[in-house]
Formats: sequence, structure tokens, C-alpha cells
Amino acid sequence: MTKNLLPDLLSSWEETYKKGQLTLWIFLALKDGQKYVDEIKEFIESKSKNTISCEEQSLYRNLRKYEHIDVVSFENKKGNKGPDRKYYFLTEMGTELLEKFIERNIKLFFSNEINNLLKK
Amino acid sequence: MKTLITTNLLKFTLVTIILTIIFRMGLSTSITNKMTIAVIICAIVYAVLMWINGNYFGRKEYEYLPIYDIGFRFHLSTFLAHNTVSILWFVFAFESKYENIKVIYVTALIWSVFLIIHFIYYLSVRKTTIKNLDKEDLFE
Repeated sequence: MTKNLLPDLLSSWEETYKKGQLTLWIFLALKDGQKYVDEIKEFIESKSKNTISCEEQSLYRNLRKYEHIDVVSFENKKGNKGPDRKYYFLTEMGTELLEKFIERNIKLFFSNEINNLLKK
Repeated sequence: MKTLITTNLLKFTLVTIILTIIFRMGLSTSITNKMTIAVIICAIVYAVLMWINGNYFGRKEYEYLPIYDIGFRFHLSTFLAHNTVSILWFVFAFESKYENIKVIYVTALIWSVFLIIHFIYYLSVRKTTIKNLDKEDLFE
């Protein structure tokens, strides 16, 4: 009985856990270098080993918001074919925001105590 | 200011102006011909089309960039467009001989009370935003 519940519990937890992660992944993709939307999507899906999936529409919507609050900007560059592409990058404030977020929320997972607990 | 007056808001306002002109035409014609049912139908059709107009462009606005408060900006634009068209309708003497411009003024006065209430709500909502974007909806 308990065993049968495990997959449902795990996916329910994962669903909650993944909420709010898209920003971090987008910022990490841009920290890696300037990218256009397709490249950001590819980066997120490959680096998260397909645990995070994102629609292009959702990425555009998020990028417009980040652009509006001046943490992300873009420049137009020529693509292989067709019209110019928007290459997004982190602004100075965006870079600082990401650094502070990592410092406060991610790095604690690398402390010896937590690391040992994870390895147990 | 530029971020508050968006393309979707302008498109919504344009459709509102067109719908209001059609509404006033229907209303004045119905009143001139003393067709009570036609007056009611005009009002209902106008209300339904305005709702569809707001819903369509409001949703598009939210999906593009959810600048707060979408509702108030669309409300203000409806107020301005509707009352301007209505007043101009009388200025250019398109009204029925049974219509009185005082009705427009009284309607605008009552409506402005609701608009002020909505404005107070808008100001309170703006406190929970960063550059007019909802703090809780900013990062996903």
C-alpha cells in the first residue's frame, strides 16, 4: 500500500519543488553566456536532465518581465537564416541578483554538514 | 507612463470607441422610433461585446506583460472613451429628440464614484509591485 503511494508522493513533491525554479535556470543559462530563446530552452532542458521543461511562450513572457525590471537585456544579432535574433544577457543588476540568490539559497547545500547528510 | 499605455490598451480603446458609436447609433434610432425592446437589446449587446473586448485584450495584456493594475487601466480607458463619444454625440447633434445630455452627465458622475473606488484599490495594489509588476508573479 505504502509502496504504491511513493510515485504519486514523489511527483507531487517534485511539482511543488520545481515551481519557482525556472528563473534560476534562465539566469544560469544567461550566466553561461548570451543566448537566444531556443538556446536558453535547450540549455535548461539539457542541464536539468529534462527534469525542467519550458515552453517558448513561457520563456518569452519571463524574459519580458526581467527586461522590464532591468535584470535582463538583449541585443539583436544576425541569425543563420531569417530575421535578427534577440540575444539575451544578464545586466549588472541581474548578475548581482543571481550572485546574492545563490549565496543565500544554493550555497548552503554545499556545506559539509548538509553534504554529509545528502551522502548518507 | 509609456509602460502604462500599451498596444493592447490602445487596441481595446479603439474597439471601445467603435462599439460605443454603434451603441449610440442603435440607442438614438431606437429611442426616436420609441422601440423600448430595441433599446434594451442595444444595451445588452453593447454590454456583452464590451465584456468580450475587455476579456480578449485584458488576457492578451496579462500574457504579454502583467502591468498592474490591468483592470483599472482598462476601466479608466472605457470611462474616457464611452463618455467622450457620448458627449460628442450630443455636440454633433446626432441624438434623438427624446434624449437629454443630462443623462450622460449623471451617468458619468455616478460612474466616476466607482472609478475613484477602483483608483484607491489600484493605488493600494501598486504598493505590492516592483516597477508595476506583481511581486508574487515576478519570478517563476
